[in-house]
Amino acid sequence: MVTFFKNKNNMFFLIFVGILLLFNIYNISFNTPMVPDQHWAQKIFYVHVPSAWVGFLSYFVVMIAGLMFFVKRNDYWDNVGLAAAEIGTIFISLVLITGPIWATPIWGKPWIWEPRLTTTLILFLIYIGYFMVRSFGGHIERVKRYAASIGIIAFLDVPIIFLSVQFWAPEIQSHPQVEMAKQPAGILIPFLISLCIFTLVYILMLRYRIYVIQIKDKLIKNV
Amino acid sequence: MFLILLKKELFIEFRSREVVLSMLIFGLSIILAFAFTSNVSKVIVSNYAPGMFWIMILFVSVLGVHRTFSYEKNFDAFSMLISAPIDRGIIYLSKWISGTIFLTLMQLVIIVPFFKFLLLDLPSNFILFISTMILVNLAIMSVAILVSGIVMRANLSEVLVPILFFPLVSPVIIAATKISSGVLAETAYQLWQFWLLIIISIIVIFALAGYTLFDFITEE
Repeated sequence: MVTFFKNKNNMFFLIFVGILLLFNIYNISFNTPMVPDQHWAQKIFYVHVPSAWVGFLSYFVVMIAGLMFFVKRNDYWDNVGLAAAEIGTIFISLVLITGPIWATPIWGKPWIWEPRLTTTLILFLIYIGYFMVRSFGGHIERVKRYAASIGIIAFLDVPIIFLSVQFWAPEIQSHPQVEMAKQPAGILIPFLISLCIFTLVYILMLRYRIYVIQIKDKLIKNV
Repeated sequence: MFLILLKKELFIEFRSREVVLSMLIFGLSIILAFAFTSNVSKVIVSNYAPGMFWIMILFVSVLGVHRTFSYEKNFDAFSMLISAPIDRGIIYLSKWISGTIFLTLMQLVIIVPFFKFLLLDLPSNFILFISTMILVNLAIMSVAILVSGIVMRANLSEVLVPILFFPLVSPVIIAATKISSGVLAETAYQLWQFWLLIIISIIVIFALAGYTLFDFITEE
């Protein structure tokens, strides 16, 4: 089997994404306006929101992979589901780290039960359970079905979790909501660029991780 | 077929009384713990009573659900059950409804000790309290039975069930506490009808997901 990055297209994609990432850091640091009352803390939003987007996109991929696994009965979709769950959890962890870092200077507290962050935390906990099932579930073939089902029900639960958390304690969530879509062009355009770059990073990571999991699967089957 | 399976679940429970009894004893122990940790202070308890009630039900339902599946697990009767020429979604539906019945029975017994041990007045609108409680039970069990069905045959299933169940059921717990607070405080229905909608959506989504997924989950 040829190594993933020995393939010219993959290597080109890696270099391309690497350059874009460096450009993104430069763009966020020097080409975006300073928000007066937030100063440097605001810059974290160019990482925080794209991470959340990629995390939720990844969990959506887990759900689709779960459905496809049940329909097609093909191990490929189980590998896609596992890879997407792993990468999604990395990005969701990033959201849970960067959120409180931003909130500490702006709202004075690292955690104030902001509905989107709370939903993210609940989803993160569900996925910790997902990985525990993957690790301790026992029979390999059964675990694939368990994981696919959890991936599906976790994503189905997201809108209800968000709605209920949003209306749960309005008195402690009375802080201003930051909506990226309503930001001026100077902030919005670099943000959208960052969003696209993060999505490309995600595609690269997902393809690479699926490749690695497939090799691992083959090794297990050959033993 | 659904009625036959439901009858089977109820018959087993009627003979052993294992699920309801174990849930009841566990529930009483939790009430004791609440009483000791809150010093039965009227201020703390009356504000927190709906929350305490649903925390107790949450813990108790995990225990109940585990028992519901353990009969089949112990004697490998589940393999025989799924080899029967029936729609496996019906197994989920029968377990869901029977689980709700057991949980409701247990609550009907424990509701008086809960309020009396914590020195609270019984809900003035008892019928409304019970009917909303049954609706919440349906929601809790729709999630609990699905999660339990997924990991029933996994190793460490007794650990995996609560770990997966608690975060998944969090909207139900928020909604249940809001509804019970509203009913106990006798506030207008309009103030908590939103939470009823949350409960109904959970029931619809999880019942459909459970009915559909159970076919795949239970494959050998």
